[in-house]
This record gives sequence, C-alpha cells and structure tokens, in this order.
Amino acid sequence: MRIGLVLSSTPGYSETFLTSKIKGLQEQGIDVVLFSQQIDKEFKLCTVIKSPRVYKRKVFQILAMLFQLVRLIPHYATLKRYVILEKKHNTSFSNILKKTYLNSHILSQQLDWLHFGFATQALGSEMVAKAIGAKMGVSFRGFDIAIYPFKHTGCYDSLWKMVDKVHTISDDLLKKAYQLGLSKETYHQKITPAIDISVFQESNKKFHIPETKIHFLTITRLHWKKGIIPMLEALSKFKDQGYDFIYKIVGEGKEYERIAFAISQLGLDDKVLLVGKKERKEVVKLYEEAHVYLQYSISEGFCNAVIEAQSMGLLCVVSDAEGLSENVANNETGWVIPRFHVKELENKIIEVINFKESEKKQVSLNAQERVQKFFTIEQQQKQFVDFYLR
Amino acid sequence: MTKNIKIAIYSGVVPSTTFIERLNTGLSGIGFQILLFGNRRIKKSSNKNIHYYTHTNKLSKLFQLIKYSVLLSLFKLKDKKKLDLIIDAFGKNKRLLKVKYYPVLYHSPDIFHIQWTKSIEDWMWVKEFGIKLVVSLRGAHINYSPIANKSLAKMYQRLFPEIDGFHAVRKAIVTEASKYSDIFNKTQVIYSGLNMDKLSFQTKKAFDNTPLRILSIGRNHWKKGYSYALEALSLFNNKGIDFHYTIVGAANDEELLFLRSEMSLEENITFLGELSFEGVLNLMNDVDVLLLPSVEEGIANVVLEAMALGTIIVSTDCGGMNEVLLDAKNGFIVPIRNPFAMAEALQKVAQLTLDDYQNIINEARKTVEQNHDIKMTIAQMEDFYQTILNH
Repeated sequence: MRIGLVLSSTPGYSETFLTSKIKGLQEQGIDVVLFSQQIDKEFKLCTVIKSPRVYKRKVFQILAMLFQLVRLIPHYATLKRYVILEKKHNTSFSNILKKTYLNSHILSQQLDWLHFGFATQALGSEMVAKAIGAKMGVSFRGFDIAIYPFKHTGCYDSLWKMVDKVHTISDDLLKKAYQLGLSKETYHQKITPAIDISVFQESNKKFHIPETKIHFLTITRLHWKKGIIPMLEALSKFKDQGYDFIYKIVGEGKEYERIAFAISQLGLDDKVLLVGKKERKEVVKLYEEAHVYLQYSISEGFCNAVIEAQSMGLLCVVSDAEGLSENVANNETGWVIPRFHVKELENKIIEVINFKESEKKQVSLNAQERVQKFFTIEQQQKQFVDFYLR
Repeated sequence: MTKNIKIAIYSGVVPSTTFIERLNTGLSGIGFQILLFGNRRIKKSSNKNIHYYTHTNKLSKLFQLIKYSVLLSLFKLKDKKKLDLIIDAFGKNKRLLKVKYYPVLYHSPDIFHIQWTKSIEDWMWVKEFGIKLVVSLRGAHINYSPIANKSLAKMYQRLFPEIDGFHAVRKAIVTEASKYSDIFNKTQVIYSGLNMDKLSFQTKKAFDNTPLRILSIGRNHWKKGYSYALEALSLFNNKGIDFHYTIVGAANDEELLFLRSEMSLEENITFLGELSFEGVLNLMNDVDVLLLPSVEEGIANVVLEAMALGTIIVSTDCGGMNEVLLDAKNGFIVPIRNPFAMAEALQKVAQLTLDDYQNIINEARKTVEQNHDIKMTIAQMEDFYQTILNH
C-alpha cells in the first residue's frame, strides 16, 4: 500500500502526532510519501515531494506551467480524468489550468490513499484523489473546522462530496463538520493526539502547594483562540485575593503585544513570565516545576500540551472548548470550566489550590492513568493503520 | 507674529490623522507656515500657507533626492556634510534617509513636530541644526509598545530629556510617559478639537429603543476591545432586551466572526467595513448608543463626535475617556475588560426615559463645546509653539 500525506511543511522533531503516524505506517510495511510546500533538510523519515512554486513574475510562471504540463504527458489518462472531474464541478478553464499546475506533483503519482493533514489543505485539490484512482482521507485538527469556515462560507462543499473517510481528533470537531455540511454517511474515525509517555513522566510531584509560591503553567501559541487573556484576568483577581504565584507562558505568536499589554494593565508584571519557545527538554523541566496547568482556550482541537501535563501529574484546569472536554475528564483527571466565565475559572483555581493533598494526588494519578490508557503513541499508530486498512 | 514661523508636522504620510489634518488647516489659518514632508497620497490643497515637500512614488523619490542634493550642495554645503556624517553613522538605508532628511534640512522649519514617539531616534539630528524638536505622546507608542519592547523603553529614557517639548492629547498619558523621564514641565495637554459648525446637534424627539441600536466605530485592533463588547452583548441578550449592534471597520475578522457564532448572535450583530466620514455621521445620528469597548485609547474622536451630534455614549474607562465622561451625567463609563458592567450600562440606557436621554445628550454636547472646540485647540497649540520657541 502507498499513502500520500499532504502537509504544509515536513513535521518537526517534536511533532510526534505526525512523525509517529508515519513511523507506525512504515512499520506495517506501508509506503508513505509526503507532499509539502516547505521541506526541512533534516527530515529523513520518508520521501518528500515539494509542491510546485508560485512565481511572482508571469514569464517564470508560464514557463513553470509548461514544464509541469510536459511532465504530465506520460500521465495523460489521469490528467484527462482530472480535467473532466473539474469540468463537472463547473471549474473555469483558467482555474483548471491553475489547479493542474498546483497539483501536478500529486497527479503524477500512484497512490492507494491521498490524505490531507488539515481540511484547509484539501482546498483546491478535492478532485485529485479520484483522478489518480486513490481514496481520499482528510484530518480535522481544530482551526480548519472550528474557525476557518466563518470567513470562508461553503469552503468545504466540494470536499464533503469527494472525501472517502475523515479523521477527527475529537467528537466535537466532527459535530461541527456535520453542521458545516459533511454527510453523516461519510466514514469517520476518531484518533486523538498522543504523546510519548516515556518523555513526559511524572517525577515525584509534590501536592503540598505553598501559598507563597504557586506555579502555574501554560504551553501554547500566543493566539487569541488560546484564551490567554481570560486566564490573566482570572489570575489578576486571584492576586487581589492575596495569593502569591508565578505564571509561566511558554510559546510565541503574533499576539505578543496584546498579551504583554494585558499583563501590564492587569498589574501582573511581577507574576507572569512570557518565556518564549522552549526545547522539549526544557518544557519537561517546566512541567516538573509547575503545580497547576491552565488551558482556558476559546477554541481548541484537542491540545497535546494538556495530555503532556496530565501525564506529568499536573493539576489541569481547562475550558470546554471543542476537544478539551474530551481530553480532560471533568472532576476526575482535571477540571473543565465553561468558556467566557472568568469568574468560574478564578473560583476553580482557588478551589483546586485549597483541595486536600490526598484529593490532588488522586486527580493527578487518575490523569496519568488515563493518558497511559488512551493517549499513547502505540495506540495512535495502531488506529492509523486501521484507518487505512479497514 | 506667527506669520514667519515654520512648523513641520510630521507623521511620514500626507494625509495624516484627522486630528493632524484639522491642526494643519487651523494653524495655517492663523498664519503659521505649515511644512509637510513624507509620502503624499492626496492632491495638494490650495491653502497658500501649507507647503508640500513630499514624494508620491519611486520616481519622485529619486527626483527629490537629486533636487535636494543639488540645492544643499549649492546653498548649505556645510550643513549637508554635517548631516551626511550623521547619516553615515546610522550605517544602513543611507539613500532612503537622504530622501527623508534632505528636504527637512533644506527648508529648516523652526519646529519639527513628530507624531510617532517610536521614531524620535530618527529625528534627534534636527536639533544639531537649531530646529526645535517636539513630540506628540500617543497611545500605543507610550502605553504598550515600550512595555512589549524593552529596548524602546530604554531609548525613551535616554532621549526624552533632550526633547524640547511634548504635546499630550490627554492628561493620563503624561503620567505614563513620565515613567521614562520627568517630562511634566515641558508637556502641554491639548485636547483634540472638533469643528463644531459641521456637527449639528440633533436632540432625540422620541426614544424608541426596540430594538436598542448600538454602534461601535474603529478599525479592528485588539485594543478596541470588541471581543468584550460581544461578550457584553451576549449577557445583554440574556436579559431579554432586543438590540442590534453594528461595528464599523471590523468586517471579516476571524476572532469576531467566531465569537458572534459561538454566542449565536448572527441576527443581532453586523460587521461593516470602513465607511466615509459622512456615512459614519449618518449612522451615529441613527443609533441610540455609541459603545466604546476599548482597553486602550487616547480620547476617542468618535466619542467626541457622537457627543456633539446627540448620541449617548457607553464607554470603558480607558485612556483619557474619564477626562471627558462623567458617569450618568453626560454618558456612561464602565471599567475596562468588564462585560458585565458594559451590559449593565447598556441596560441603563435602554431603560432611560426620553427626558433623561435628552438631559444626558445636552450635557454631552456642552462638554464637547467647552473643551473640544477646534478653535480652542488651535489657540492652545499656538501658545505651545510660542513657548517652545521662546525657550
């Protein structure tokens, strides 16, 4: 079996979700080829084919298009099928030409499955799988289903017609996809993200949280959908109640200024540290130092960091955004708070801090057990093999 | 006396902000010679006291470089050499700096008044040539940029003592800026002024608040706090009060579209793109309340305009808004980042009687007439510049 994965860039070392998926498939003798716009030279896991470049200068663009068309001559039958399919979907001649160029690197391949890593990645390539005689798979990851369609109404109409099987990381995202028009008849499989539990292991966590030095932690991109500002607002009230703490936010992003301003305006300069992006080793150390992990996202596919935090025995307080309430079992492995209720978040933080040590320990143990049961790489790899073979 | 005084009001582009454009017209009207530099995107005005030394495209930039290189070599060679040494010290973008600096050196205004505090380092050189350097203190450049960028804060600490004068659009920002250097003595607070003749007050003849029509105006930027407004309106909706909320200038924003959908308020909230000034005024006249949900502002012009026109204000207590609004007297003012308080204030507006509504908008108009008339702004600016020159 040969599977083609379409991604915007080759996965980095820490992106276990994708690297372990590829490894798991290869171990079962499945040949994996990656189609990507950006290629990291360090990536050696499988064959990578770069998508055709878009040139600013028209002359170069025309020459590049001609070159790709010539390369597709041996695949004339596929090309013909592709053009007929696009025509059936009322695509204009100029758009067919454009799409043929952009998909030429896939159209020349023989695959059993063509799988798009995000739903947005499939836009403009909906007919390709059928044209090359492959099954079409697509993954729902969060932003692509929960946010992107608001600005692009009806963007997945063609995708829903062509896709053979969808992979969702949470039930909530699948529900949202149905609302967006995905047929309930379409095959689907839920495969949650997973982590390498040998890396994120609890190391004798102390559950006596000193009131003078409570350590909060969030590992996230600095983006509005991550709900960092509501977390800061809750912690500012927490501070007003006389608690002393350190809150470290790990990650980078375009909302840095908005967040730095909120920290200052909320009087949290001496409490909150924006520590930037960190290597995995350092992240593990930060998990070890922290008592409570916060993830009060406004929108969230599933959240790997919350699985890691649970695996490391942290007390997790999260929002109920999309997959988060499936990630954390409320009152069992952590606490799930409705979004847009800063007061409830503040109250829950205080409640958690003041739980008996034995109660905290129990939640921490539950969390570790649940991660080992449901969110390991081995399980995920097996589920992905099933996805293509069943 | 003002006749021969040359003032360069610089923001890098022409036209600049509404406030600056009003200032240019007003100051030129009382005899100041206004010098404009930078990139021009409109036709030159026929005002004989406004002088344009601007460029419009790559070719005109090149022409400007050649023209002023020649003029400076012929008439101010010593100064040119001195400036060239300064430009050399910058190390990069030398040609671009020459395009920017040469016209300023050649026309040597008495005062070079820059609008963006972040760029003071680029303009300190004018002091070497006897030009007074004046800086306007503006929201972002003082309130959050130096917080997010520590090197900027250090630059302010180093250079603020050398600036000849600061103009502040509100009182609170002076305190903020003084964190970097004690500038109280050389700062003058001059409020933004409106042309009151063009904003005729319309008292409400009836206050039919079903639905309550709410409006916000302003480009989509996090500091405008629209996400809080949406949260507030979700709470407001839960109170069972019928409303329609329009935001002008925030069309097609991912965050707002997402929040509106999550709160199931598609029917009640409209996002519009930018509108003409007249379009905005018409909308302001039509609605019941203008909402300013910002987390940071100077003194918002839209609020002053709505107050002048006779539309009630609900505003957060951000920036200098408490220098304009007195809660329940000439509008409503609520704490920042507080959707509950915002929803409550909107409810208070919805429950006003026609008499109460009229009392508040009459007070609001009075406030604007007393403190925000463009004539007053111009007189204060004239006084400010004279003080700088006599120092």
